[in-house]
Amino acid sequence: MSNKYEEAFSNTFLNIMPQFGIEDIALESQTECGSKINAPGVVCIVGVTGELHGNVIFAMTEACAKRIASAMMGGMPIEAFDEMAQSAVSELGNMLAAGACTYLEVMGIKADISTPTLMHGDFAVQASFEQVTCLQMRISDTFFYIYVSLERN
Amino acid sequence: MKEIKVAVIDDSPFSVAMLSNMLEENGFQVVGSANNLQQAVDMVKEQNPDVVTMDITMPEADGIECTKALHKINPDLKVVIVSSMMDDEIMRKAKRAKISGYVQKPVDAEELTLTIRRIMADEELFAELEKLYYTVFKEALTDTFNKFFHSVPEYRDEETANIEQTSRGISAVIGIIGRYGGRMILDMSTETTMAIARKLFKIEQPTKEHIINVIGEISNIIAGNACSMMNKSNPLFGLRVAPPTIVYGESIKISKSELNTVTSVKADTSFGEIYMNIGFNRGECE
Repeated sequence: MSNKYEEAFSNTFLNIMPQFGIEDIALESQTECGSKINAPGVVCIVGVTGELHGNVIFAMTEACAKRIASAMMGGMPIEAFDEMAQSAVSELGNMLAAGACTYLEVMGIKADISTPTLMHGDFAVQASFEQVTCLQMRISDTFFYIYVSLERN
Repeated sequence: MKEIKVAVIDDSPFSVAMLSNMLEENGFQVVGSANNLQQAVDMVKEQNPDVVTMDITMPEADGIECTKALHKINPDLKVVIVSSMMDDEIMRKAKRAKISGYVQKPVDAEELTLTIRRIMADEELFAELEKLYYTVFKEALTDTFNKFFHSVPEYRDEETANIEQTSRGISAVIGIIGRYGGRMILDMSTETTMAIARKLFKIEQPTKEHIINVIGEISNIIAGNACSMMNKSNPLFGLRVAPPTIVYGESIKISKSELNTVTSVKADTSFGEIYMNIGFNRGECE
C-alpha cells in the first residue's frame, strides 16, 4: 500500500541536498519492505507524533555519511566519521524530518518530530510497525535510504 | 516573577537611549549598555544581565561575533537581535550563534517586551524540566520493574556527560515530542533482555521476536508513564512519545547527541544491568 505522505520525505531530500552542492540525486525506487532493516553502517532515528505517528529512519553507509558531512561543511575533507561528521549527519536527519513535516502540513497533515538519535556500527533495526516504506535515494553512485514507518492516527 | 536584567548593545547612542527608555518604561531593569565589543564584554562581566539586545551592524565586530564573545562569558545569556536588516543569511548565522529572538527596527515597544518576556518564561520552563525529568524517568523505571517483577532496580550515580556510548547489545530508542523535543534510550545486553523475556512470557527459550517485543514494551511503558507524570506536574510540557525503534547487533555506537541536557544512569536489576539515557533540547529561535 502506498501513501501519498511518503513523497514528503523524498521531495524534501531532493530539495535539501542541492543546498549543500549535492546535485546528482534521484528517487531510485520506493518499495514496501519488512520491519527489519539491516543497517548499512549509520542510522539516524527520528520519532514522529501527531496525525501521523511512528518513526523515520535515515540509513547510509559510513562512506556516504562522510561524503554528505563533507558537503555540509563546505567541502571540508573528512578522514574519519568523527564527532564533527556525526553531528553533521544528525543535523541532516533533523533538517530532512523537519522539512518533511512542513511539507506534510501543506498537505493538511499535522505531525511533529523528536530530536534525532544517531547510531553507527554493525547492527539491525526493528521498526515500530510491520509496514515500512523504503525510499531508495541515489546520490551519484551511492545510496541513501529513508525508511518511513508511520501510521495515520 | 523576578525582575529581568537587560542591557543594550548598539553602536548608536541614540538607539541605546531609545531602547533603554523603552525597556525601563516596560518594567525591565536596564543594567548597562555598550557601543562596541570590548565595552560589551566588560559590561556583561560586571553587570551579568539576563538578556541583551544586540545590534547586528556595528564597526569592528558585528552582532553575531559579539554574541559569540558574550556567550563565552555567560553561555546562558539570552541575546535578542534588534536590527533594521534581516535576511536568510543573517538568520542562519543567528541560529548557529544561539540567538534567542529577533526584533526589527524601528522597534515596537510591545513586540520587544513580549519577545523578552517569552524568552525568560521559556527559560524558567526549561529549568523546571531540567530539574524534574531525571527523577521522573527513574521513578517510572522503578515502578515498571516493581509492578512486573516485584523487585526494584538499584541505581548507580547518574551521569550528565554527553558522550558517545557503546551499546550492551540491544537498544530501544523512543522519540519524545512536545514543548521540548527529546528522546529516551534503554540499553541492555541480549542476556538481560532474554532473562526479562523468560520471566514475562514464562518460556524457556525466548525468540528474537520475544526479545525485541520485551524491550520495546518496557521502554514504551517507562517513557509513556514518565511523560504523563511530567505533564501532570506542568501541562505546558505537553510531552508525547513516538513508538520505540529497536536496534540490535554486534557493534552499536550511540553517538553523542545534540541535546541541551542529557542524564544517564546504570541500574542493577535481578536480570542484569540496564542503562537508561534521557535528553531534551531547548529548541531554537523562531
